[in-house]
Amino acid sequence: MAGRDKLLDMKGITKRFPGTLALDSVDFEVREGEVHVLLGENGAGKSTLVKIIAGVYNRDEGEMYFDGKKVDFRNVREAQDAGINIIHQELNLLPERTIAQNIFVGREPMQKGLGRIDYKKMLRDSEELLKRLGLDMNPNTLVKNLSIAQQQMVEVAKALSNDIKLLIMDEPTSSLTKREIDKLFGIIENLKKSGISIIYISHRMDEIKRIGDRVTILRDGQYIDTLDAKTMDMDEAIAKMVGRKITKLYNRRYNKPGREVLRTEKLTGLRFRNVSINVREGEIVSLAGLVGAGRTEVAKALFGYDPIEGGEYYLFGKKVKNPSPKKCVRMGMALLPEDRKNEGLFLKMPIRDNIIAASLNKLFKNGIVQNNTATDTAEKYKKELKIATPNIYKLVGELSGGNQQKVVVGKWLSTDCKFFIFDEPTRGIDVGAKAEIYQLLDDLAANGAGILMISSEMNEVINLSDRVYVMREGEVVKELDRSEVSQEAILAYALAEGGSSNG
Amino acid sequence: MGKKLEFLRGINIPGATYGVIVLLILFSLITNKFLTLANIFFIARSSSILLIASIGMTMVILVSQIDLSVGSVMSLSGVIAALCLQNGMGIPIAILLGIASGIVFGIINGIMVAVYKFDYWISTFATMGVGAGLALVFANGETIPIADEAFGWLGNGKLFGIYVIIYITIILVAIMMFVLGKTKFGYNIYSIGGSEQTALLSGIDVVKNRVYVYICSGLFASMAGLLLASMCNSASPIAGADYSFDAIAAVIIGGTSFDGGKGGLLGTVMGTLMLRILTSGLNLMGFSAIWQKAIIGVVIVAILVGDALNEKRKKKNDMRRTYAYEN
Repeated sequence: MAGRDKLLDMKGITKRFPGTLALDSVDFEVREGEVHVLLGENGAGKSTLVKIIAGVYNRDEGEMYFDGKKVDFRNVREAQDAGINIIHQELNLLPERTIAQNIFVGREPMQKGLGRIDYKKMLRDSEELLKRLGLDMNPNTLVKNLSIAQQQMVEVAKALSNDIKLLIMDEPTSSLTKREIDKLFGIIENLKKSGISIIYISHRMDEIKRIGDRVTILRDGQYIDTLDAKTMDMDEAIAKMVGRKITKLYNRRYNKPGREVLRTEKLTGLRFRNVSINVREGEIVSLAGLVGAGRTEVAKALFGYDPIEGGEYYLFGKKVKNPSPKKCVRMGMALLPEDRKNEGLFLKMPIRDNIIAASLNKLFKNGIVQNNTATDTAEKYKKELKIATPNIYKLVGELSGGNQQKVVVGKWLSTDCKFFIFDEPTRGIDVGAKAEIYQLLDDLAANGAGILMISSEMNEVINLSDRVYVMREGEVVKELDRSEVSQEAILAYALAEGGSSNG
Repeated sequence: MGKKLEFLRGINIPGATYGVIVLLILFSLITNKFLTLANIFFIARSSSILLIASIGMTMVILVSQIDLSVGSVMSLSGVIAALCLQNGMGIPIAILLGIASGIVFGIINGIMVAVYKFDYWISTFATMGVGAGLALVFANGETIPIADEAFGWLGNGKLFGIYVIIYITIILVAIMMFVLGKTKFGYNIYSIGGSEQTALLSGIDVVKNRVYVYICSGLFASMAGLLLASMCNSASPIAGADYSFDAIAAVIIGGTSFDGGKGGLLGTVMGTLMLRILTSGLNLMGFSAIWQKAIIGVVIVAILVGDALNEKRKKKNDMRRTYAYEN
């Protein structure tokens, strides 16, 4: 492997943003046909580095060689023309356009003369691409009608529609199910075989050994080390990544459960039915299952966001009639959504205003916002939750994912909520901050709150839960106690392989 | 599912089409003065000027922005052309300078909105004021008569028994339908409106295309202004005042959404027809013109309500369908 040629060679890359040094003289190289993993916490500079490679940003200093030539991409198009394509972390698709239109966006094939776009050719080429990826999709379908996983595959097809030499994938698996990830990894293997190099960014440590060849670690905008993916020691890699040893990721005090905070009886909604579960004070209860099993839908229905079509449920022993988010919050329930940025936070507002946003009624009885009270409240949760920020007036949009999650928690704590639903609590949060979020969950439970957690990360479910309800196709198929929980057990019931359905 | 969508692609009928049909039937039944050749011509002529102004507005709204200066540019280009004719500069110069004024406004709007990223409401609100003010200053606050009969032919003349202005409108609309549906510029407009971020990351020059869109808006507004002056044989400095409102209404009624990247010119054609049929029908029924704006507003609200109900139903169906698939 060492004998292979360098496809990309970067030396002394520096990038400054107003107020921060995003990359500090970073060296980075990618060989032909290798999967090179970029590892680092949020804010380490991974995304900045790949955006420089892909022509999204311009570097301030340093040299870059691609395919033996010195290059200086001024925009995305020039990088594309050189054979570099990037699949961004956020899906970048046009929902109102067809798959074919999305695949060729900005590079639509033309008919001869007249400047007329050749849509038929777009359809044909798209079909071929999709087939090459082993996907059975009609290229004439509007993207808004696809599932997230299918949309991700369209992104891959879009990247491959160019004549590429280097493909950059920024956290491609964060919204995929296990089966879809397997499919994606199969595709990556095939790309490798055909000589295409891949830069892969992921927070999922288990993926790195599976598909990576080499790993480069960045921390705080600096190059730390490059390791062989197959032989590297995970703990060592994590230590290098966070700059300190994380002693224990999961640190759970299992408390004796108290009174019931939630009980549902044969609850039925739009994508789930006959769900009967309960959560007690001091417990972390997980809803496990595949993406699409109906877990998020249960959470949204419990919070009064989606309609309930049958059954009933009780919060703190009181039956909830005609639920609405307003009523649920009043009763002491909080939902921490998967999509924090859009559904959980006001990104353009400071930390302080985010924290008091849900508790205005409680804090300011006469309807006038008093500065002192607001500041004190925000300072209190900043300290309690260890939100890393110079002050409480920093805009939430400028915080890292972990700190943003803490602000959401602070927002709910200030309302005196006693029942929390966490939907994917650590999505997009790096390892160092994950440990803190786990600690936070445990603290909440230890202080007597009840927690219902939805997570696609098996390790979280296994290591944090008092109990686990496994869902499949909209139904709860099994309740597992802490002693029975294992990856095999959960998957067996979630996939209905071997596990006997009790529904 | 794919098959079904493909089938729908072929006959993507804007909702406003049904509105047009319903209004046609309704007014024909109510008054026998409605379905006459004279009235149909009247509707077609009055639609055409609004439609031309709405072409640009459609493009601007497709990239999820707005151009409030359209009406002012119409007034201004008419006034400029009338002054040129008054001073004996001839029709070509009059038309050229009229259109140039629209392009200049388009460039200014485009630079403010796309290059400097100023708020598009405020930017075009400001140029709306400047345009309206300049028109009044140039015209000295008065309506300028146009004596040139050849100029008047554009708005009032007939060719093979049909008004010239109708041909002009059809040609312009056809060209722009092609541009929006089949060319790179058109695709880029839909892409930028659908997601600016995605467009940017796909290597599309968002700034340049936005500037072009505003130039188009100014261009079509000025053409509409010239035709309006031609039709009236005079240029009033406030002639275009109502047209920004009407053009936005036509585009929205036609189903082009402020979310961007959704809708198109065919919808705007139907939206314009719907507005003008409504106006004409109400006139014939004896409603005074002062009612019209309020009624148009009510129609827009009705459409919003209909849309919202439709979306809700669709969402519910979608969820049910997913649920059914899973079982």
